[in-house]
Amino acid sequence: MSRAKLATLGLDLPLLPTSTVGSFPKPDYLTEARAKATRNAITRSELDRLERQATEFWTRVQEELGVDVLVDGEQYRGDMVAYFAETMEGFSRGGLVRSYGNRYYHKPVIVGEVRWPGPITVEWWRWTQSLTTRPVKGMLTGPYTIMDWSFNDYYPDRKAACLALAREVRKEVEALLEAGVKIVQIDEPALSVRPDELPFAVEAMHAVVDGLPAYYITHACFGAFETIYPGLLDLPVDNLDLAISHSALNLLAMFETNPFTKDLSLGVLDVHSHTVESPEEVKARIMRGVGVLSKERIWVDPDCGLKTRTVEEAREKLTSMMAAVREVRATVR
Amino acid sequence: MQLILANTGSYPRIGDAPAAQRHRRAYAQRERGEISEAEWRAVEDDVVREVIAEQLGAGVELPTDGQVGWYDPISHVARHLEHVAINGLLRYFDTNFYFRQPVVTGRIARQAAVLAGEFATARMAAAPHPVKAVLTGPYSLAQGSILEAGYRSRRALAHAYAEVLAAEVADLARAGATLIQVDEPFLLQHPEDMDVVRETFETLAAARGSARLACCTYFGDALPLYEDLHRLPVDVLGLDLTYSPKLAGRIAEAGTDRSLGLGLIDGRNTKLETGDMVFPVLDRVLPRLRERAYLNPSCGLEFLPRDRARAKLETMVRLAREYAGARRA
Repeated sequence: MSRAKLATLGLDLPLLPTSTVGSFPKPDYLTEARAKATRNAITRSELDRLERQATEFWTRVQEELGVDVLVDGEQYRGDMVAYFAETMEGFSRGGLVRSYGNRYYHKPVIVGEVRWPGPITVEWWRWTQSLTTRPVKGMLTGPYTIMDWSFNDYYPDRKAACLALAREVRKEVEALLEAGVKIVQIDEPALSVRPDELPFAVEAMHAVVDGLPAYYITHACFGAFETIYPGLLDLPVDNLDLAISHSALNLLAMFETNPFTKDLSLGVLDVHSHTVESPEEVKARIMRGVGVLSKERIWVDPDCGLKTRTVEEAREKLTSMMAAVREVRATVR
Repeated sequence: MQLILANTGSYPRIGDAPAAQRHRRAYAQRERGEISEAEWRAVEDDVVREVIAEQLGAGVELPTDGQVGWYDPISHVARHLEHVAINGLLRYFDTNFYFRQPVVTGRIARQAAVLAGEFATARMAAAPHPVKAVLTGPYSLAQGSILEAGYRSRRALAHAYAEVLAAEVADLARAGATLIQVDEPFLLQHPEDMDVVRETFETLAAARGSARLACCTYFGDALPLYEDLHRLPVDVLGLDLTYSPKLAGRIAEAGTDRSLGLGLIDGRNTKLETGDMVFPVLDRVLPRLRERAYLNPSCGLEFLPRDRARAKLETMVRLAREYAGARRA
């Protein structure tokens, strides 16, 4: 089904298309520059130059490895929600909240009507796409996750905040499509946290994508996947990206009871582990998916953004993944 | 009817201003080996005193130690036990907070008392006010752990944790705790395990001495378990009323023979409550309660920035006074 959609969008991807979830580690020079920027110790244009340098680096890495659908690597973003909250109107930065141990972060607060300020990610996409002939995905955080990872001082309830955000995220999707984006990934890692809210999360995704022609991917965390399946299939997207790298969940049994109706991105690399998987391990994970769904409907990627790994770990993990995919392609073709 | 203004559990240990970040700086210095363990403990105890003073200053009558010494709700006690290793991070319910998973590699056993010393510090800081002792319950510890060896099931592990925690409860009671709150947030996700929780609470209740025992649930809808919770051998039931629009109606309808902890102040969001949100619930519920009830946040306040946590407590106190005044008038 979605192969046909990809074709209508002018995309001819190989069997088991490969991609990544979005973020790549920032090289040391960029991490240092970002720290300096918070102290106003370097200029915005100098930081921008280094962000572009790092984006170009990761674009080359993805091309060299043979990844099929590229990302810009999010070298200019911090947190996937804070980035949008800092850019959109209606948010304040929020006070410090502990995330674990001695780590704290500023959790955004919705303090007024949320508003799209004009294109947020479009220039980054345009520039990355200018560096490669391979398709580059548009990368956004979904309204449910932005709502869930923010405090809400303004809207009467969580649903109202989520739907308001959806209307604004849609404008960013429209701007991306106008720039020429064919594949848009809208991440909703918070989706599984409150199963009873799935209906309005689905309603919000409709508000984001309905009537806008693109191939849509949603990355969701696998943790409590079973609690929102098969309701998750109501999301109006073409591809669901699920982590299976270290899950014992029996996909087959779940899909036998309620057939999986979308394309599936198999998150086959454990991004939270320093250990680099061997191609054989990755291949076994891919084969679990191939045993469950038609190979025409499977994509392959890591199980989350790679930003928590080192540059070398990220590159080595992807090298393993690409080697495994080549082997599987040769076997199952 | 006496309505006691209480904190529920955790409290933010730092604020946004540099002067309010002593704990964070000392923690980092300790990790780098720049301060001694004794110097670190002194800072931690100071922060406990500070958060207790802040709660009392807001008008809270029953503060906690803010669980300032807890790395997280799951690993704090478990990390001190024999045959428990501490693993990687896992997300704590639908919060942006992560806890370290205990890995049980054999039969667990207590090596030393964990909570009584912390309680003694808090009690001294709060005097002459009482302070509530708070710990995570055996079922939630078992749910948050990775079971590798030593027990054939998670249920058996929950019973083993109950034995360990019973010793902690006995120590707390001996140290002067008059109310010991045992948190079981995982129960609401697994109502089918209600009997495991009841069995483990029998073990805890036997150790409480003259202290009152509370079971507190949050991060979910307690409505389906409302009757079952009344089978627990506890004096107080802590209920999160922010998740469940119908729970207040059930309390009004069914009544209760326990003291209730009414979690009406949302510990998960910064928006401050108003009388319109709180008073109608109190109107429905209070006539059905016994002589003593608690008004408190829906969960620990550590999910909020420090200034908002304080504002929540101040709001709670102000609303309770306004309510009492309005009903007297």
